[in-house]
Amino acid sequence: MASLRSKESTARALLHPEVLSGLKNLDLVARSVVEGFLIGLHRSPKFGFSQEFAEYRSYTEGDDPRFIDWNVFARSEKMYIKRFLGETNSHLMLLLDASASMGFGGPPVTKLRYAQYLAASLAYLASRQHDAVGVMVFDEEVRDYRAPSSRAGKLQSVLHCIDSAEARTGTKFDKPFDKFREQVMRRGLVAVISDFYCDIESLLEGVRPLAWQGQDVVLFQILDAQELDPEFRTNVLLEDLETGEAVEVAPQFMRDEYPQRIRSHIDDLARAASGIGADHVLVKTSDSLDEALRNYLLFRQRRQ
Amino acid sequence: MSFLAPLFLAGLLAVALPFWLHRLQTQSSDRKPFSSAMLLETTEQQIHVRKQLKYRVLLALRVALLLLVAFAFAKPLWTRPDTLPGPGPEGTHLIVVDTSASMGREGVFDRAIDMARAAIDQAPGGAMLQVVSAANGILLESELSADATSHNAVLDRLAPGTVNLEFGHMMAALDRLAESLPPPVTLHLVSDFQDSGMPVRFADLVSARIETLRPHVVRSETAANWSVQSMRRTANGIDVVINSEGADDAQATVTVELNGVGLGVRQLEAAESAMLSFDNLQLVEGDNRIAVRIEAGDGLAIDNSRFDVIENQPPASIPLITFNQGGLPVTYLTAALQADPNGAYDVELAVIGDFDARTLPRYRWVIVDDIGTVPAEMEAELSAFVENGGNILAFAGQRTATTTRIPVTGNAVEAASLGVATNRFLSIGRVDSGHPALAATEGWYNVNLTQTIPIRVTTDDQVLVRLENDEAFMFERRIGQGRVLVVAGGLENEWNDLPIRPVFVSFVVEAARYLSGATDISRTFTAGASLPLTLVGGVSGQVIDPDGETVLSLADTTRAQQVRLDKIGFYEVYTSQGNYLVAVNVDPRESDPAVASPEVLNRWAEAMGGQSSPQVTTTIAEDAKPVELWHLLLLILALVLMGESVLGNWHLAPRTSRQSA
Repeated sequence: MASLRSKESTARALLHPEVLSGLKNLDLVARSVVEGFLIGLHRSPKFGFSQEFAEYRSYTEGDDPRFIDWNVFARSEKMYIKRFLGETNSHLMLLLDASASMGFGGPPVTKLRYAQYLAASLAYLASRQHDAVGVMVFDEEVRDYRAPSSRAGKLQSVLHCIDSAEARTGTKFDKPFDKFREQVMRRGLVAVISDFYCDIESLLEGVRPLAWQGQDVVLFQILDAQELDPEFRTNVLLEDLETGEAVEVAPQFMRDEYPQRIRSHIDDLARAASGIGADHVLVKTSDSLDEALRNYLLFRQRRQ
Repeated sequence: MSFLAPLFLAGLLAVALPFWLHRLQTQSSDRKPFSSAMLLETTEQQIHVRKQLKYRVLLALRVALLLLVAFAFAKPLWTRPDTLPGPGPEGTHLIVVDTSASMGREGVFDRAIDMARAAIDQAPGGAMLQVVSAANGILLESELSADATSHNAVLDRLAPGTVNLEFGHMMAALDRLAESLPPPVTLHLVSDFQDSGMPVRFADLVSARIETLRPHVVRSETAANWSVQSMRRTANGIDVVINSEGADDAQATVTVELNGVGLGVRQLEAAESAMLSFDNLQLVEGDNRIAVRIEAGDGLAIDNSRFDVIENQPPASIPLITFNQGGLPVTYLTAALQADPNGAYDVELAVIGDFDARTLPRYRWVIVDDIGTVPAEMEAELSAFVENGGNILAFAGQRTATTTRIPVTGNAVEAASLGVATNRFLSIGRVDSGHPALAATEGWYNVNLTQTIPIRVTTDDQVLVRLENDEAFMFERRIGQGRVLVVAGGLENEWNDLPIRPVFVSFVVEAARYLSGATDISRTFTAGASLPLTLVGGVSGQVIDPDGETVLSLADTTRAQQVRLDKIGFYEVYTSQGNYLVAVNVDPRESDPAVASPEVLNRWAEAMGGQSSPQVTTTIAEDAKPVELWHLLLLILALVLMGESVLGNWHLAPRTSRQSA
C-alpha cells in the first residue's frame, strides 16, 4: 500500500509543469502525464477507464479487425468485437491557439507550452482509447492541420504538429472554425485550447455552428498567474503582445480593478459556453495537468 | 539668406544621431509585455508619457544644437534692405496722373489734379503714398512716404505733355514698380481714359502685384475740337486734312506757312473733316518747313498745328566711266538710275580718255561699266578715291576677261579666257539678302547667265551673290574708308539677261543708295518718339529743339545714340554728314474724343480686385549690405548647450539614484 502511495506521489509530481518543462520530448511528456494520471485513477473506479471489459458486439464492416475476439470466433465461427468501458470509437479534434498572447507567462512555462502539454496529453489519452485524434494549430490563420485518424503512427504526427507550434501574431477564431466545419463532418469531441482574449460574441459565432453540427465542444482557457493576479508596485507600460499597443497602467488599477475585469471575462466566457452546450475549463499554468485531464474525462463521460 | 560655406550644411545629416539614440532610449524604458491590453485601462497620471515628452524636449535641444553648429559653420548671410520702408498695414497708394496730350483739354488737367489731391487726402493714415505721372512711360514724381503735404506739392508741378498714353504699357511699368512697394498696393488712376489708349488684349491691363484699382475719370466740358489730321505732298503743292469734333456752328481759320512765309489762309465751316489743297510751293534747295495751323476756339490746342519737312535736294551727279559711250551697258545703267522714284541721281558720262580723274573727289561714288578698261593712271586715281571714302560699282565686262587681275581690288582672274557655260545657262545659287544693296531686291534666281568671269575672291572680300557652281558673281571689297562692289560679268546681251530683268533696276537703285550713303530716316515723327542718331551720319552732332535750345550736352554730342523728341515743332539736326530738319507732331490719337465705356472700366477694376493675394516680393536696395549671422548663431548655440546640459543631467540623476539604490 505504501508502495502504491509512493508510486502515485511520483506520478503526480510528474504532472506539474515545473517538472514537465525539463522534458524536451513532447511524446515523453504526454506519456508521463497520462500514465501518471492513470495511476492516480486506480483509486477512483467510478471513472471506469477503457481497460475494463464491457460487452461484445457483432463485427460490422469498417471495424478494426485487431479487436476481433478470435477465441469466440474459434468457438462459434462468429466474429465479435470486444468493447471496453470508456471506449466509444469517437474522435477528438484539438484546436490549439498559437497566437502571440499565448507566448506570455512563465517561468517555468508559457501559456503556449502548457497548452502544448495539455494538447499532447489529451491526444495520447485519446489514442489509448482508440479514438481518432486530429489537431489544428491557428492564430490569425490556420497554421497547421492534421485530420483526425486512429491509425498507428498518426499520434506521432499529431504530437509533432503540436510541438512545432510557435506563438505569433493575433487571434481569430472564425478561420479555424470554418476550416474545421469544412474538414470534419463526423461528430466527435472538439477541445479548443486558448487564452480566449477575444470578443466573446465573435467566439460564439464560431462555436455555435459546431454545437449545431453535433460536436461536443470543450473550451480550455489557459491563463498565467500574472494575468489573474498581477503584481506591480509602480506605473508600468504594458505592451500588448499581439497589437503592440502600449498602455500605461497604475498599480492600483492592476491590484483592484483588473482582477475583477478578468474574472468577469472568465465568467462571461463560461456562461456563454454553457449557453451553447459547450464546457469551459479554466486552467492555470501553475496547476498540474491532472485536473485538466480529469475535467476532460468527466466531460467525455457526460457526452456518452 | 545665403551662405558663405554651404558645404558645411552637410553637417545637418548629424541630426539623425540624436534621433537614433532617443529612439533606443525610448524603447528601452519600462515597457513590459502583456498578453492582452483589452482589459487594461490607461491611468490618469501618465508618468511614461511625461517622461517621453521630456525626452522629446531633450531631443529637440540636441537637434537644435547640431543644426546651429552646422549653420554657424556654413556662415549664413542675411541681406537686409536698408532703404525700403517697412510694409504698413495700409500698404501703398499709388497716385498716377495721366499727363498725355489729351489731358490738355480745357479745364481737364485742373480737375485731374483736384481728384489726385482728394485721393491723397482720403488715403488711410499710415499708408505709404507715391505720385507718378504717366504718358509715354511712367515717371516717379515723389518719394515713397506717408507725408501727404509733399505729395500735394508735387501735384502743383505737373502739367499735360505732348505724348500719348497707352494703358497697357503703363500697367506693365506700374506692375514692375509695385514689386518694390509695401503691399497691398492700391492704384488711383486719374485720367480721361481715352479709348484709343486701350490695349488690344484686356489681359494687358491687369497687374498681379496691384491689388486694387480705383479709376478717377476726368471728362472735358468743352466738346468742340479742331485738329490737323494729316498732310500729304502732291505734285504741285500739299493737301491738308482738317477734322472737327462737336464744333457744329463754329468756324476756323487754317493757315499754311512755308519756311515761315504764309502760303495761304482758308476759312473753314464746321464739318466732320475737310481736305484743303495749297499749290505753288516755292521750295528752296534743301529742307523746307511746312507748318499748318488752325485758329479756333476749341478745347484742345495742341493738335491745332502740324509740321512737316519737304526735302528739295538737287540730283547728285554720278560719273559713269565707260570706254564705249554708245554701248548697251551705258543705256541700261542710265535708265536704271533715272528710274529712282526720288530722282536723286543725274548720270554723267565719263569716257575713258576724256575724263579727268582728278575730279573724282567731287563725287560720292562712281560706276565703271567694264573695270578692265581702266588704264593704270586712272586705276591709281580710283584707288586713292576709294581709300578716301569714295565708292565704286564696277562690272567685269569683255575687257576684263582679257586681263589677269581686277583693277583697284587686285583680285586675280582665274582663267585667261571667258568662263563659258557649255551647254546650258548658269543660274544664281545664293544671294546675301541681308546686305543693304540687295535687301530690297527680288528675282535674282530668274537671271540666266551665259558667260561669267571666274574671279578669285579673298578673305577680304564679302561675297554677296554666288552662282550655282559656287563661284562668286558679286562681291564687295573694303579698301580704306571706301568700298568697291564688283559684278563678275558684263552687261551686254551675250553675258546674261540681268539688265532686262526687273531685279536689275531695283539692284542699281539700292546699290546707288547704299554707295551714296543715303539713309531711310524719316523726317516726320510723333511726339515721344526717339530719333536714332546712328542712322543719320554717326553719333557726332547736335540737335536743336523747336525752342532753339540744344538737346545734347557736350559729352553727349559724341556718344548719344538717340534723341527723344518731346516737343512739337521742328528739330534741327547737325551731323558730320550734313544738316537736316525733323518735324514732330502730336499723336493724332490724342485728338480722338472717344473714351472707354464705364463697363470697360468696371471690368478692369473688377479684374484687378479679383486678383488672388498678390505675390509681392521685397526687392533689395542697391546699397543693402549683407550681415553675417554666425555670431548670433554662436550665442544661441551657447544657450541651447546650457539647456541641453541641465535637462540631460536632470534626466540622468534619478536613473543614477535608482541604480545605486
